[in-house]
Amino acid sequence: MIPYIVRRLAAGAGLALVITLIVYLLIGTSFEDVARTILGQSATPEATAALLEARGWDRPILVQYVEWLAAALQGDFGASVYTSLPVLPEVLSRLAVTLSLIVPALLITATLSIVLGVWAASRGGVVDRIAQGVSVFGYIIPGLLLAIGLVVLFGVQLGWLPATGYTRFGDDPAGWARSITIPVIVLVVGGVANMSAQVRGRMVDELRRDYVRTLRTRGVSSRSIVLKHALRNAGSPALTVMSLEFINMFGAALIIENVFALPGFGNYAFNATLQGDIPVMLGISTFGVVLVTVVNLATDIANGWLNPKARVH
Amino acid sequence: MSRRTGHRFAGAALAAGLLAAAGCAAQGAAPDAQGEARTLEFGVPQPPNSLDPIELHDGVQRYVWGSLFDTLLALDHEGELQPNAAESWSYSDDALTLTLDLRDDMSFSDGDPVTAHDVQGTLERTLENAGPQRGNLSAVESIDVPDDHTVVLNLSEPDDNLLVSLAQAAGVIGDPETLDAPETALDPVGSGPYTLNEERTQDGTVYVLDRRDDHWNADTYPFETVTIRPIQDRTAMFNSVLSGELDAGTVDPAQAEHAEAAGLTLTEVEGASLAMLVLADRDGTTTPALADVRVRQAVNMAIDRAAVVESLHHGLGTPTAQIFHPLTAGHAAELDETYPYDLEHARALMADAGYEDGFSMSMPGNIMSTHFQATLVQAFDDIGIELTWDPVPPQTSTQSTDWPAYWNIGGATTPSRVVAQFYAEDGSNNPFGTSDPKLRELLDAVAEETDPERADDLYRQINEFGVEQAWFSPVLWITTIWATAEDVEYVGSAVSPMDLRVFDTAE
Repeated sequence: MIPYIVRRLAAGAGLALVITLIVYLLIGTSFEDVARTILGQSATPEATAALLEARGWDRPILVQYVEWLAAALQGDFGASVYTSLPVLPEVLSRLAVTLSLIVPALLITATLSIVLGVWAASRGGVVDRIAQGVSVFGYIIPGLLLAIGLVVLFGVQLGWLPATGYTRFGDDPAGWARSITIPVIVLVVGGVANMSAQVRGRMVDELRRDYVRTLRTRGVSSRSIVLKHALRNAGSPALTVMSLEFINMFGAALIIENVFALPGFGNYAFNATLQGDIPVMLGISTFGVVLVTVVNLATDIANGWLNPKARVH
Repeated sequence: MSRRTGHRFAGAALAAGLLAAAGCAAQGAAPDAQGEARTLEFGVPQPPNSLDPIELHDGVQRYVWGSLFDTLLALDHEGELQPNAAESWSYSDDALTLTLDLRDDMSFSDGDPVTAHDVQGTLERTLENAGPQRGNLSAVESIDVPDDHTVVLNLSEPDDNLLVSLAQAAGVIGDPETLDAPETALDPVGSGPYTLNEERTQDGTVYVLDRRDDHWNADTYPFETVTIRPIQDRTAMFNSVLSGELDAGTVDPAQAEHAEAAGLTLTEVEGASLAMLVLADRDGTTTPALADVRVRQAVNMAIDRAAVVESLHHGLGTPTAQIFHPLTAGHAAELDETYPYDLEHARALMADAGYEDGFSMSMPGNIMSTHFQATLVQAFDDIGIELTWDPVPPQTSTQSTDWPAYWNIGGATTPSRVVAQFYAEDGSNNPFGTSDPKLRELLDAVAEETDPERADDLYRQINEFGVEQAWFSPVLWITTIWATAEDVEYVGSAVSPMDLRVFDTAE
């Protein structure tokens, strides 16, 4: 098990390396643009050249990448070219904001999806049609539109929840809950639409299997069949969907955080990309890859626990 | 600036939205009547990059740093220079020595008095480090401090942009003892009217400022606590203003009607920014046709400016053929008549120049130009120029020799800044470094001119040169709309520096 985890993490690190190099090559040619943006309206040719030299940006791209990499391996991800603030603490504090949004959203999504999916698959009929209706509804409503609609209703018209902004949990837990409510609802609606359909489909398949019929003939209660046997077998693919959903939500955060002016990872990535803040983009890429790798690994390990056939040795 | 109550907004628009760079939003005045603490909370499109004096930017970033630092001079709402930290200033006859007399009642937030040595230390540090403000002080050769309240700047050449720069970011006074400390980027020691409330401030997300009642100019600032929230997304900004979370903010024309219906006061700031084509390759380095003044004039006559204002900007703008702001020296109303929309005349000019069959050229297309691209393609096509837009990401600088011309939207500014950026050979908006003997003479003359009235006349002549030679094809001055809650009033103009002096309590 441990060699497996090490192998997977090493593969993740390799992937991070390749992706950061690609990111670097894609954006690396624009140091002059970055210098001009920093200087703004006083970007005379001399001033631009002086800044390029002062920051060492006039050296070959690959030399600069190798230097960045060497420092990054020692935990130094450099500093934003615009704010001069170190990237690492900023990335971590931004990640905390995004995770404080995504983790509750994911837990609610999983709970609702399992309840809805299991209920629909085991009851059928009207219940099933309602569950599928909910799912289709979640699919067809664009997240951005829903976000704006909810802000207008609850933030602007009713004034129940803040329209924008973020309160840190440590400062005011109730304020934090209020500030993430609408973004979490938006993420949950999209998540449940996807995941409940997957759970339902898988449960329907499981309930048609031979072992279920055998259990029924033995007089095992429906409740026990659904919750103890079928759900456990359906759990494994649901878990995979959940990990994909986590990654999806991470992507959705890019838009959501801008709509709600939340100081999260997506907002940080968005601004860094717009400005061409190279060290920040590299830091974000690295942490993005590491996060996805860890989530996938955790999913595989959890799958092994749920399903012995998927277990790795 | 005018206040409005009517219904003039129809569709959606991008106008003010485009101006994230020049516009901003404000929130929050809570107030009160008899002696209760007054607060102001407003939004800005962008947080300050850093609060270190060598990294400061003018424009919307000033709302935060302008509260923490005093600048040597100030600009009023008419764009005129006023005393500030320096009570008075004077130039030597050859305009090579500038003497500033400082107030004697200034102190830093840590209690130390502000002296001429602090001014010297801050300016010298800005000159030693490559950063956005160094260029604005490039004429300064050395700085003398004859006594604690006098600073003398010795210049290598006359610079008409220097005084204005001292009223902007290049003129802040920092505390040399703490400037190199890492905290300076986030919470600097300054002598400004406010200090940063460290506990409630989250860098990049929210800045809370507490007024220093012992500041020499505290009476100018009616708000005891000011909260500034950077909100980049236009819809998020609008929702924050509408929900009452913010006391003030800029809104797009399409949002204005809703804001008004919600009981907010709208204030139009006319001419907040200028949308224009910079016809940069006037020597024909990459596009020979642009070297002919007739071709550049034809471009000016092919654009129906009034129609652009009406249909692309909901009428919220003013057509213009010159780049000097109507509120400032150098502007001449009659110059706006130079290039009426006249396709026949334009085609004749193209034919005279030998381009009857037209030519093709490209310009960089980004988020600032998208809204105008189709209209410009049509206008160029009308006189035979095949215009293509090369899509470029927002971080790519368009002010380069990669394109013969480019679309530019920039905030209104003073004549000396216009000259430094658009006319000087090394100006950021003169990428090909075009010059002209007649222009050079005018630029030298205005740099040396210490008499304001004569300088104003020289600016007008420089403006005339630019219009006649069609160095640019200006299109319109864009109006910004401020929405404010009932306790707050926006009192600034298009040329006001973006700091807290643009807000007042509504009586």
